[in-house]
Amino acid sequence: MNKHPHIRIDRYALVRNTVFVWLTAVVVAGFLVNIPRINILEHTARNLYFHVPMWFTMMAAVGVSGYHSLRLLQTGSLIRDIRAMQAARVGAWFGVLGLLTGIIWSKFTWYVGTDVWWNFDPRQTMASLQLLIYGAYFVLRSALDDPDRRARIAAVYNLFAATTTPFLLYVIPRQLQSLHPGAEGNPAFSDITEPVMRLIFYPAIIGFIGLFWVLYTQRVRTAWIKYRVIRDPEL
Amino acid sequence: MEQEVQSIQDSLRAKESISTPFDSIWTGADVPTVDPSALEQVMLSNDKLYVVLAVVLLIWFGFIFFVYRTDRRLSQVERTLEDRIYERDDEV
Repeated sequence: MNKHPHIRIDRYALVRNTVFVWLTAVVVAGFLVNIPRINILEHTARNLYFHVPMWFTMMAAVGVSGYHSLRLLQTGSLIRDIRAMQAARVGAWFGVLGLLTGIIWSKFTWYVGTDVWWNFDPRQTMASLQLLIYGAYFVLRSALDDPDRRARIAAVYNLFAATTTPFLLYVIPRQLQSLHPGAEGNPAFSDITEPVMRLIFYPAIIGFIGLFWVLYTQRVRTAWIKYRVIRDPEL
Repeated sequence: MEQEVQSIQDSLRAKESISTPFDSIWTGADVPTVDPSALEQVMLSNDKLYVVLAVVLLIWFGFIFFVYRTDRRLSQVERTLEDRIYERDDEV
């Protein structure tokens, strides 16, 4: 009996447990490891371990989602549609968290001493636009009823959405004046980050991508159950 | 260790006359005369950063617990689904 033609539960459990131990270590290290205090940032520099991996994770999720949309168009297998959808959904949540944590961080650094929470900084504006593009993907899906037709139309749109992502998140903001690191006239991560912070930052990226994988697999599992039940109304 | 206790007590006394809303002790309150406990010595050091760490870890462990519970629920639902499929196929 093969309960999951698409998911290996034992491997999932192993990765899940590893991710939880790994990320716990990242959080503890993120708080405890001493970092140099620099102007304006002070302790908020520790946000590097948590805010920035949100975007790396969303980027990875966009890649996974786009890959499965491509495979759907090649094979027509509906599990690809489920995977593309769930990767996009979990990835979009990481994007929302990245945007919100960015707003909080910027309030007390860029905008400290003002009433400003949001000033249409290009980086933040483009990231919001990106999330709206994915919002349209979910709306588009909900408007279509026939599973096969929905899968194909959504896959084509999703490939468009995935293609715009690197431009909106990385290419365009770097050409504009922004307070965000890595923009015009503003040094990027590589020039300013203390070496000890990299030892936590890189594992944090791996850990959060792992967390994405755990949540994504859990959702695929759920969606697969739902698909089996609805496909066969006798149950 | 004794030096550290002394320095914490000294810093508390030094703040006695300062009245800012974020003081470690309320204005006019008596300076604690009891030595800080071992737990307090840890949690109050580094600008009380470890208190935040404790809060974040508690939330994180709650989240992990939730994921495990959901996985167990999913396994139950899958078992039920398999059983029903087998029962149905037997009838046919």
